[in-house]
Amino acid sequence: MKKKKLSEVEFNETGIVSHIDEKLKNRIDVMGIRVGKKLKMVTKQPIKGPVVVIVEGANTSLGLDLAQMITLEVD
Amino acid sequence: MSILLMGHPNVGKSVFFNRLTGASVTESNYPGTTIDYTKGYMRIGGKSVELIDVPGTFSLNPKDKAEEVAVAMLHESKDVKVICVIDASKIERGLFLALEIIEQGYPVVIALNMWDVARDKHIKINIDDLSRILGVAVVATTAISGEGIKDLVTSLDDARPVEIDNIITNVGGST
Repeated sequence: MKKKKLSEVEFNETGIVSHIDEKLKNRIDVMGIRVGKKLKMVTKQPIKGPVVVIVEGANTSLGLDLAQMITLEVD
Repeated sequence: MSILLMGHPNVGKSVFFNRLTGASVTESNYPGTTIDYTKGYMRIGGKSVELIDVPGTFSLNPKDKAEEVAVAMLHESKDVKVICVIDASKIERGLFLALEIIEQGYPVVIALNMWDVARDKHIKINIDDLSRILGVAVVATTAISGEGIKDLVTSLDDARPVEIDNIITNVGGST
């Protein structure tokens, strides 16, 4: 197991959320992103663009600054 | 009494609205189409009841203008019942909002909309179990074809507030 920020996760990579910055918690739990949830990276936009992840079957896009506040455990 | 259609952006609230009132509110395939609200009237058991199409919101803690409108509408309306519309193919995130509304003491019925999409994706949902756990009516619907709409309207009659503690007990948690 390796820890990675969501902003550093590669295309097609999956991981389990291990930590979410306190500032962000109440903003993304409503979108289904919580500690213990499995995320899959499906789109990384260039030039510091947003990332799109799949959580529980739902596509969710996050700005890169938000993605930096989420830590995943990846294989 | 008025009835509020609430749910995430892009789950089909406006299609419901059109179905229930016979209006033709704009529908489009991108989220955030409804940024102001639309009001109409529907008939329940011979009575005319106000129906409000609320902008999509992810939670009751607003993060933008449309969400602010949504939350204010809920809080300002007196004697309301809420139809919480959930995308059945993404049920987990939708239940979060449903629980928030239930927790604030509003009578809720849940429409598991886009049931056809969930079926195509082989997503199986035990509606009876979900309804038992939540203590509110749960109806599978496909708003664009009209499936389940009648059952949903019928279930509104019996909608009552539910204690959130009961739900927590039903899922085996401790309060």
